[in-house]
Amino acid sequence: MAIARVAEPSGSLQEVREWGLDREDLLQIYRNMLITRGVEERGHILYRQGKIPGSFYTGRGNEASSVGVAMAMGADDVGTPLHRDMGVHITRGVEPWRIFAQYMGRADGPTHGRDGNVHMADSRLGLLAMVSHLPAMLPVAVGCALAFRIREEQRVAVAWYGEGASARGDTHEGMNFAGVRRLPVVFICDNNQWAYSTPTHLEYAVEHLADRANAYGFDGVVVDGTDVLAVYREAKRAIDKARGGGGPTLIECQTLRMEGHAVHDDAFYVPKELFERWAERDPIERFRTWLRSNADLSDDEEEQIGAYVKKLLNDALQKAEESPQPDPATLLDGVYATPEDLDTPHHK
Amino acid sequence: MATNTAVDVVMPQMGVSVSEGTITKWSKNVGDTIEADETLLEISTDKVDTEVPSPASGVVSEILVQEGETVEVGTVLARIGGEPAAAAPTAPPEPATQPAAEATAAAATEGRAAPPEPEPEPVAKPAEPVAPGNGKAFVSPVVARIAAEHGIDPSQVSGTGTGGRVTKKDIQGFIESGAQAPQAPAPEPPSQPAPVQAPPPAPAPAAAPAPPAAKPAAAPIPATVGSAQAGESLEPMSAMRRGIAEHMRRSLDTSAHVTSAIEVDMTRVVQIREKLKKEYQAAYGVNPTYLAFIARATVETLRDYPWVNGELRGDQIVTRNYVNLGFAVELADGKGLIVPNLKNAETLNLLGMAKGIADVARRARDKQLTPDDVAGGSFTITNPGGYGTFHGTPVISQPQAGILGTYAIVKRPWVITDENGADAIAIRSMMNLTLTYDHRLVDGAYAGRFLRDLRERLQGWGETDY
Amino acid sequence: MSEKTYLQAISDGLRTEMRRDNRVFVLGEDVGVYGGAFKVTLGFQEEFGSWRVIDTPLSETAIVAGATGAAMMGLRPVAEMQFADFVSCAWDHLVTVAAKQRWRAGTPVPIVLRLPSGGGFSGGPFHSQNPESSFAHIPGLKCVCPATPEDAKGLMISAIEDPNPVLFFEHKHLYRRIKGEVPDERYTTPIGKARIHAEGDDVTVITWGAMVYTAEEAAKMVDASVEIVDLRTVMPWDKQAVLDSVRKTSKVLVLHEDTRTGGFGGEIAATIAEEAFEDLDAPVKRVTAPDSPVPFSPVLEKAFIPQPDGVAKALKELISY
Repeated sequence: MAIARVAEPSGSLQEVREWGLDREDLLQIYRNMLITRGVEERGHILYRQGKIPGSFYTGRGNEASSVGVAMAMGADDVGTPLHRDMGVHITRGVEPWRIFAQYMGRADGPTHGRDGNVHMADSRLGLLAMVSHLPAMLPVAVGCALAFRIREEQRVAVAWYGEGASARGDTHEGMNFAGVRRLPVVFICDNNQWAYSTPTHLEYAVEHLADRANAYGFDGVVVDGTDVLAVYREAKRAIDKARGGGGPTLIECQTLRMEGHAVHDDAFYVPKELFERWAERDPIERFRTWLRSNADLSDDEEEQIGAYVKKLLNDALQKAEESPQPDPATLLDGVYATPEDLDTPHHK
Repeated sequence: MATNTAVDVVMPQMGVSVSEGTITKWSKNVGDTIEADETLLEISTDKVDTEVPSPASGVVSEILVQEGETVEVGTVLARIGGEPAAAAPTAPPEPATQPAAEATAAAATEGRAAPPEPEPEPVAKPAEPVAPGNGKAFVSPVVARIAAEHGIDPSQVSGTGTGGRVTKKDIQGFIESGAQAPQAPAPEPPSQPAPVQAPPPAPAPAAAPAPPAAKPAAAPIPATVGSAQAGESLEPMSAMRRGIAEHMRRSLDTSAHVTSAIEVDMTRVVQIREKLKKEYQAAYGVNPTYLAFIARATVETLRDYPWVNGELRGDQIVTRNYVNLGFAVELADGKGLIVPNLKNAETLNLLGMAKGIADVARRARDKQLTPDDVAGGSFTITNPGGYGTFHGTPVISQPQAGILGTYAIVKRPWVITDENGADAIAIRSMMNLTLTYDHRLVDGAYAGRFLRDLRERLQGWGETDY
Repeated sequence: MSEKTYLQAISDGLRTEMRRDNRVFVLGEDVGVYGGAFKVTLGFQEEFGSWRVIDTPLSETAIVAGATGAAMMGLRPVAEMQFADFVSCAWDHLVTVAAKQRWRAGTPVPIVLRLPSGGGFSGGPFHSQNPESSFAHIPGLKCVCPATPEDAKGLMISAIEDPNPVLFFEHKHLYRRIKGEVPDERYTTPIGKARIHAEGDDVTVITWGAMVYTAEEAAKMVDASVEIVDLRTVMPWDKQAVLDSVRKTSKVLVLHEDTRTGGFGGEIAATIAEEAFEDLDAPVKRVTAPDSPVPFSPVLEKAFIPQPDGVAKALKELISY
């Protein structure tokens, strides 16, 4: 028996306009989704070329979810996106060349080679870098919301986690505290159905993870994570509600992780038919179809957008490859912060 | 015949190799009258114990060396006649006497390392290990640095630290006082010319230093036998220690010591012992020690390797149809070692071995061994592993041809191969065994096979093997 | 100047900063209405309100992670663990997030974590520990362990000012037993600077926290001039002060209430061996708790926590070495 609300699919252009998106916004969403996928596809190639050390993770299938939520965030809002949420970084304005530099451990990556893959964030864009211990950043986002509440600011924190990390105590402790204090935080659960090789029925026993919101005293919503406009709509509602003092919301975005846990994993344990079924709901193709039938996306526009994305990524890759290797002599720099380090937009 | 000039009584030389003797008993006290040739004192040397007859008739005017003290041959022990002594010496300390049997039987001990292979060139004899508490020789880092900075030999400085160690304060004080000549630590400053209080160390510094003196012209004389340097203390060697020392030296001079080691998986023995322990304790009041298992396996293995249980006697090789198995037992006071043996150990099963070992160990500690217990051993086991050591090179108890060393049983990761030939790492109770053997008689391969067979016996110990 | 207990001094430092800087707030279990398990924040909620003195759920993760997030948003949280022992529940947020965020992502995390630590009152295995060495081992964290009321206040203010996560180990056994003159005005005590608790020439004791007083007692029991160096902060630690004292006395005892193996004393001893070897006149000695959990029974606890007579015995060995 479901407790959470199941969100309806996205509607007409008219409806979308009511949520605050004009046609240019829609094309921006489309571009961001293409860039998101493009960055990860190129990254995968770089990895196989031996240019990326360590491991490599992608969020194929999660583009609508990540871009949709990020589009709904305000400029002063903050978020803690994870490794399937490249679309958040792209939408918040992280330049692709810096992401490639990050992948390759170069000096110009957001972490300057100190951390790898999607363990990065540009705090000036309101993003806090994830850690591997999922969902350790979820209660941290709650802490951001606490700061907003203490200062009575109209800002919202967005905390991402996956259905795998839903089993961790951090999820509970963070949500409980947020619920008790009605903090301005929105929890986004990327439910891509597989925690590495573990399927959902071995991770949780409720019908929807969003059902759990009820236990913390706030609303839960289940949304089709391949429908970018539906995701946007639900995120916008939740963020606006939090901003207005209405407390947290838990949004469960249902997707399928379309590749392995990391690129070394061929996901043999995922039934082939499941991949085939979800491939038919590819978020980018789905949105492209919607744009063509609802927003008059033309062949020319498509071609233009495609060429733009291609050039953006080619240039980014070239620039990233020119980025120097980090200097080993700097290894100890910044282990401890100096008072000057606090001179950031956030710490003011 | 009385005499007006004092006659010295000196420590006699009881054999060409003897350099010192220990006074075991004074028969006369100061003030007693003695006739020439009458026994004045008894002494003990490493060759013989004997009485010393008085060289003259008269009154014993001085006794200069007390009972228990060991002095060099030629040292003046007493004076007969001359001026009467001012005061009688204090009562001598208890003589340290030991049954002679122990001294001669004391044998196998952890000692110095034998070379892994017989080497043509003689191994330099290392100095005697520094006794605990004798810190004179140890120079701490800061003292070494200060000494180097000031060009001082730290041994010139009197030490007040533990065992006479030169402390930082000592060397600083030495420098501050203008680097005076070193003095033996004394409660009083050596301002007056000191009367000779004891037999002077030979050769003594020529003149008493006139304070404040300049730097000494030469380094102080190193310690010589019989005289204590600053910070040292002397005690007479017991007869047992003397016996051990002589035996150790002689053994190394006699046998070509080589040591081989092998690792033994004792897991089965540990398990079986656990089972037997209760039964043996309850039924026989005896603990089936690991040593008993090892001894049992050793005796069995020695049957196949008679030369390890043998002896070189002149040009003859001796082999035996029995094993008199010796065990090195530390005495309760920690001041010596004795090696009683179990006669006809080949007739003993595990229980008999355990009982026999317990019995000789107890009697050794209670000093109840008979001379027969320590004579006639054919092979020896020494067990220093009780202290956690994992390797050693024991010295053979002469005239035997080998000594087995057993060491601590410790749990270690160990690669084992199962019956299908698959390798795995397991936690096993492992023990090292060493065989130190006389390479004149026993070849390395022979010793290696002995150790291998001994290991197989221990590793394959059956539930019903006793 | 006024006489304050160690506890009052901590409270005073915290209140001083909350009055001066409205970014400073406290959060923890029972810190508000109740005033904290040890009453450090008694009366704070009345003065500063319930959004600056926040009673949290029983949730160390939410407390430390919440403080971390709030700090990255520009506030200066002072989070209380009811007992230092419970920080284990928040390890990830302290060690995985807060300690590494500046180095990794350029985002400083200026939080203070108050950790009532130490034993001596039958608190048992879970209310008595001194886990400073565990955190001193984590690059990015600072660990302060004041011994006196004056330092407690000054270090509290320094900790709040510091742009890093600072673990403030306040020793429970000192809370009400130790009194001292504390300046009424605001002042800071530098993090990373030791204090010479007692000057001496013959032997040095390097210690911190409650063991400063144990060292003091022990020094009375020996016939020698004992220098007591109170590190005050374990990370960073005042290597120079330690080496200076070593060079002076050449004999060193490192004393801590934490257990021996991996305790911070090992780091100090190793550093002395590396950097002052030629100044040593004796081996560096350690007196610490043995490698067991903290026992409950008073008899056992006395055997666990280093006592003055044990310290005196070690001092005598060093003196006569």
